[in-house]
Amino acid sequence: MTGPHDDHDDPRLLTGAYALDAVSREDAEAFERAAARSDVLREEADELAATASLLGLAAAPVTPSERMKAELMAKLAITPQLPAVESTTGQDARPNAPETVVADAPAAPAADATVTELAAPASGAAEQRARVRWFARPVGLLTAVAAAAALFVGGGFVGSAIINSTTNSTTIDASAAQLAAITAADDVQRETVQVTDGGTATLVWSNDLGRSAVLVDGLAGLPDGKVYEAWYINSGGAIPAGTFTASADGTTWHVLDGALTSGDAIGVTVEPAGGSTAPTTDPILVVQSA
Amino acid sequence: MLELVTSNRGPIDVEGGEPAESVETLLERTALGDQQAFSELYDRVAPRVLGLVKRVLIDHAQSEEVAQEIFLEIWKSASRFETTRGSAMSWILTMTHRRAVDRVRASQAGHDRDERIGIRDIEPAYDQVSESVEIRIEHERVKRAMAQLTALQRQAISLAYYGGYSHSEVAGILSIPVGTVKTRLRDGMIRLRDELGVTS
Repeated sequence: MTGPHDDHDDPRLLTGAYALDAVSREDAEAFERAAARSDVLREEADELAATASLLGLAAAPVTPSERMKAELMAKLAITPQLPAVESTTGQDARPNAPETVVADAPAAPAADATVTELAAPASGAAEQRARVRWFARPVGLLTAVAAAAALFVGGGFVGSAIINSTTNSTTIDASAAQLAAITAADDVQRETVQVTDGGTATLVWSNDLGRSAVLVDGLAGLPDGKVYEAWYINSGGAIPAGTFTASADGTTWHVLDGALTSGDAIGVTVEPAGGSTAPTTDPILVVQSA
Repeated sequence: MLELVTSNRGPIDVEGGEPAESVETLLERTALGDQQAFSELYDRVAPRVLGLVKRVLIDHAQSEEVAQEIFLEIWKSASRFETTRGSAMSWILTMTHRRAVDRVRASQAGHDRDERIGIRDIEPAYDQVSESVEIRIEHERVKRAMAQLTALQRQAISLAYYGGYSHSEVAGILSIPVGTVKTRLRDGMIRLRDELGVTS
């Protein structure tokens, strides 16, 4: 029956409220500690969580906008995954709890929000933070990045484009594999800057591999006869590193031709189609590697 | 399940004309960094995730924003999903609800919410989305189970789950002691569990 009204009730009384997310953070933590020590409590908590999720299924489904998926898929390419935790049984009472993983930062519209999160990945244990790697496990990378390539290169995101790209577009695949190799490198680094005409550019690079790629969110389209050209810039001047065009919507990316030397800056300019041997305009973005 | 994880070349051959992979399998592949699997997972569950978020938050634009955060969280933490502790769908919706509630409590709008939002009973709003028979059946099942609760249990659960109110807020709204709310929520949820045949 109903216990006393003080806050130190038997945690068993909280299983319902807990499953419904109707407890304060402190109460939730206290409950989780109690559940970690009690199989009975944990079992009831898991069952009621599953029950609550059926209430969730009973909410009327709502079709998301296409834009939501496009933005989301763009963010994946620059969002690291957490490694699996070995043997959490008994340690973590929260049913499949993910909540310490993500910072409660307000969602910013562009991909840079994710990058900011990377810099300070919330309240997880320090060791956990240290173990975060981009594409924590390389298995499945090629398929994964082929999907990303379809998104970035194909412009507006369409689900079927993913499948097409894996079978048709060997150029994209090769480039995607290179991007995957960079983002999967142990020493991968990233730097985000604003683009002159709006948008955000993220440079990802690996000094070990000597490769880099630039991802731009919100890159403006260009008139016919113009392309973007990337450059490696150092004391010796600017070395051409390939041309590219903006995707119709969302995120554009380009794996730079040639080799990155540690400390190079990477710039992007607008050039006549075919590219130039030296920059002819002011760069729209410059990112410094390290 | 295991062979799907290790084979990442091309579409999965599933003999016998069963094209859809389970949400579990898609989540496991997602944990391996497979964006295509994630994309399929998204297509499969996004309307349910957004539906639940919107049920709690009401505002559509804000709901999409939160739903997107949820999917990024799924991407990041897919490796933390434990099959022994419930289904993948349950894991996703548990995360979804928690995020929606966090948002509603963090935003000022949350405090201004009309109390009727929570008191509204679970009701169908099927005009926008064409739905599969399966979903309708699920919905009917939950509705019938909810009907087995006492009116007071149903009210408390609706306020907490769909309204996003904490037990002390529910106590305030209903002018009853918090302890009574806790009991109502627990008894009601246990009754629902039994009606819906949920086991661990």
